[in-house]
Amino acid sequence: MLAAQILINALVLGCLYACIAIGFSLVWGVLNVINLMHGSFIVLGAYLAWGLYRSLHIAPWYALLLAAPLFFAIGYLIQRVILNRVITAPVLVTLTLTFGLDLILNNAMIYYLKADYQKLSLVPPMGSVSLFGVVVPVDRLVATVAALGLTFVLYLILRRLRVGRAIVAVRLDRDAAVLMGVDVNVTYAVAFGLGAALAGCAGVLMALIFPISPLTSTAYLGKAFVVCVLGGLGSVSGALAGGILLALIEGVGSAMIGPAHATTLSFALLIVFLIVRPQGLLGRKGFE
Amino acid sequence: MVRSRLLSRSLVVAACLGLSISAASAQDVIRFGAPLPLTGPLAPEAIKQQQGYDLWAEQANKAGGIAVGGKKYKVEIVYADYQSNTPRAVQTTEQMITQNNVNFLFSPFGSGAAKAASSVSEKYKIPTIAATASSSQVYDQGYKYLFGTFTPNDTLTTPLTKIVTAKAPDVKKVAILARNDLFPLAIAQEMEKSAKAAGLEVAYFEKYAIGTLDHSATLSQIKSLAPQWIFVTGYINDLLLVRKQMADQQIKAPVVSMIAGPAYQEFIDAAGASAENVTSAAWWHPAAQYDGKDIFGTSANYVKLFRDKYKSTPDYAQASASVAGALFQMAIEKAGSLDKDKVRDALAKLDVVTFFGPVKFGPNGQIDSLEPPVFQIQNAKPVVLSPQVIKQGDFKLGVN
Repeated sequence: MLAAQILINALVLGCLYACIAIGFSLVWGVLNVINLMHGSFIVLGAYLAWGLYRSLHIAPWYALLLAAPLFFAIGYLIQRVILNRVITAPVLVTLTLTFGLDLILNNAMIYYLKADYQKLSLVPPMGSVSLFGVVVPVDRLVATVAALGLTFVLYLILRRLRVGRAIVAVRLDRDAAVLMGVDVNVTYAVAFGLGAALAGCAGVLMALIFPISPLTSTAYLGKAFVVCVLGGLGSVSGALAGGILLALIEGVGSAMIGPAHATTLSFALLIVFLIVRPQGLLGRKGFE
Repeated sequence: MVRSRLLSRSLVVAACLGLSISAASAQDVIRFGAPLPLTGPLAPEAIKQQQGYDLWAEQANKAGGIAVGGKKYKVEIVYADYQSNTPRAVQTTEQMITQNNVNFLFSPFGSGAAKAASSVSEKYKIPTIAATASSSQVYDQGYKYLFGTFTPNDTLTTPLTKIVTAKAPDVKKVAILARNDLFPLAIAQEMEKSAKAAGLEVAYFEKYAIGTLDHSATLSQIKSLAPQWIFVTGYINDLLLVRKQMADQQIKAPVVSMIAGPAYQEFIDAAGASAENVTSAAWWHPAAQYDGKDIFGTSANYVKLFRDKYKSTPDYAQASASVAGALFQMAIEKAGSLDKDKVRDALAKLDVVTFFGPVKFGPNGQIDSLEPPVFQIQNAKPVVLSPQVIKQGDFKLGVN
């Protein structure tokens, strides 16, 4: 029974990890930008959900409808106004730039929202469901379904919509895409906007489960990093596989060698993957 | 030309006057340094400490200041934020001594940072009071200038264990989960000793990493062991998270204890119904009834003053910070001097009842005269179970 419980915990948590990582993976894999603001975007999304519920009693699933366009706009503008200026520079330049922007964003959050933890507590609480002795909290289930939904929407955008195909085309061959009439700057901004929107939505879902503080942004960013390396960049299904793998390692590792070492274990695996399989489980060669 | 020379001369005169005024006022002030984690994960605790110091400073200044040899000195507290980063706490402490010229110090928050910073205050021979450090490792360094207002950790776990074993003889198996941090881990280790000494089986003892967000796998494992007593340590945010995830997984036990969170009103407010019957222990409680010789007088008067200023009930962290200030005040007045060694000796010799309880420092500098209260959340209020003199109710079994 314990094994079944740990497995279910890992599956649910894995979907949430995938949701945290997918926007990060998109931006890294497609734009070749390691967006260190990603964790702060997630935290901002969580604050948005918390604020809407606290002041207007708007449930987090409705907050998603606001978070998606709002964060898309923020991401779009950041890309157009700031990042686009250095998009063709080596990856270290964009990395440093997003690091600096994240410092500003995170410190602004600490200043205005304080370092204290906030918690979005739904009234009445959603409780848990129990099946054959295996218990799953309903809020995690709701967040998991929503996370899977978001992942599927991104998949459809990239596969079915013209803008999605343009995003992939620009990543594969920027010059050829220009010749085919693709506006590269707009496409990059749309991709970055999508990444930000996914981060904001992930934040809304995380607010249902975890406490909210600007300081948690590093934890989210760390998870996103590991998931991307495990799953592979530029792959929607890779993010999902990476998320579930990470949650499994943490869950089983915690039971086998103690919770204090679970994070160490996941980072050790990350190093192994970087050496043995840098493209990740489902990533495409050339995207690593 | 003449005008500009006049102007520059008058500026020089004004600057000199300003200097002499500030020098005079500096002489009339006693500066206390308080490095605190005002931002970062420990910020909620830091704000409590700051409230406690500020209340004391306000009361001391209202009474004219601290009397030293027939002269009254105003209290000034110099705060600095070390952002919940222990190495920075050490740096900040040194800066306060060398640049801010503080006369005396309050330690940074918690056992870990207090221990780290104590090496600096000892080096400069600055009398220091730790208001929130309980682990004996902080005081067992052989330092002369460090004092602490929290009794050792076993003074919390032993009375708690006695109450549980007396009132719930069916409790045989204990699970302990501790934040991997100096104070929470030390208190968990004391709990393990107290439980074993009482003949209980410690079926689970694990640490979780600082910053852990998901405890579900750990809690599933604890649930599978079916302990009758679940004991969790950490800071308020950790404990709220663990308690919520326990409820998510429908983990129930006759006894659930958490240190240190339930002493704070924020824990009760945030945990809601799941806080019910959670037991804990702390170094002070607003129900205490001491008739102190310090500036606050009775415990009831302290609670009243605190409520008037902050519109909330004080908890042990705020009270400990206030008493740390009040103890400095008494020691300085007794020493009749601002000389650091004389004040240090006066602190070492203190044997006095305060609103916080009887205060007497042991040979290692840690207080050894207090009997910390054990309490339980009942009907959304902390109810004191022991010691007998301030007991408010009886222990109840069952945490759902």
